[in-house]
Amino acid sequence: MSTEEGDIAPEKPKQDEDEIKPEEMKPVSYPVKVLYCPECTLPLEYCEFMPEATLQRCRVWRDNNQYLLEQEGFDLEALNLEDTPGDKKRQKRGGRGNVKSKQKKEPDIVRIARIPRGKRKFVTRVTGLATFDINLKKASKQFSQKFSCGSSVSGDDEIIIQGDVTDDLIDLISETWNQIDEDHIEDLGEVKR
Amino acid sequence: MFRKFDENENISSTNQIKSSVQRQIRAAVIEQMPEIESYLQEIWPKKENAKIIKCHDHIEILTVGNQTLFFKQRDSPWYPTLRLLHKYPFILPRQQVDRGAIKFVLSGANIMCPGLTSPGAKLNNDIGNNSVVAVHAEGKQTALAIGLMKLSPEDILKVNKGIGIETIHYLNDGLWHLKVSR
Ligand SMILES: [Zn+2]
Repeated sequence: MSTEEGDIAPEKPKQDEDEIKPEEMKPVSYPVKVLYCPECTLPLEYCEFMPEATLQRCRVWRDNNQYLLEQEGFDLEALNLEDTPGDKKRQKRGGRGNVKSKQKKEPDIVRIARIPRGKRKFVTRVTGLATFDINLKKASKQFSQKFSCGSSVSGDDEIIIQGDVTDDLIDLISETWNQIDEDHIEDLGEVKR
Repeated sequence: MFRKFDENENISSTNQIKSSVQRQIRAAVIEQMPEIESYLQEIWPKKENAKIIKCHDHIEILTVGNQTLFFKQRDSPWYPTLRLLHKYPFILPRQQVDRGAIKFVLSGANIMCPGLTSPGAKLNNDIGNNSVVAVHAEGKQTALAIGLMKLSPEDILKVNKGIGIETIHYLNDGLWHLKVSR
């Protein structure tokens, strides 16, 4: 964690003896180097609190950069990114607790738009699925299989499907995911990019 | 303060600050965070030009180079940004919330007393009401927010409900994402 030698670190704020972790016992010099996740921008230890759509990208980045993380002395286990959201240790509380990712996202509405492509063709854009904690990659794959057409995850919470599949898509979404019913789906109609 | 902050909408102007004003701010920062003094020259070199970004709601953000360092609102004290605090964690006294509170803080909620008194939390009794604090979390090394004590530690323990610390700036808010050009 240290970057420059020579500086004498001021005393750390007083702490109970039993609270000092081994990492904190290491001599520290300043500035402390904190590794931030390039996907969610937070310190790596906070990725686990990101919404599912962002967390997926955090995981991919980590998988591709394990070497770097090990080199920096990160305990990959401790970063706690396993795929199971139902963590037993996690405390449950009521109230608002959804961490908003940076991207503006209307909660709990799936929006479907038809976007013209060329003169007579359309693509269909779906946003908001991630606010229902849906795995976008899987959803996209499912769409392409159902509609036999191309489909890709094109943004933080956006899937683009080739062709105008709006009507079928509304049915498919409400059938596939119980937590979304038709009231949660908004058909924006034709939209310019 | 930065929950709905958007750099395209909330910034009114960016201005270089005169050296006399710079001196005043330096002195104010040192007075408020004495531990920072021996590092201030490295954080904010004298010859670097500092700028103030004026934002809506009387928020001012002090930047040096492409880094945001401090901010204030109206006549509040100068708060360090989380990016600065992460580099020099000793500049603010710390309070620790339990793990359950993390997601609430990350969505901008104020810190409720129970999150400061439960077994995972650590309430530092030496920090009085109205102090600026670094908000740390159970099991985490880096601070997740900067807050203002709204009750004394004794009252937090005694009352144990309502807001204990006002969340001023937190990971993932508008200030965290603010990009500054030189
Ligand atoms: Zn991340």
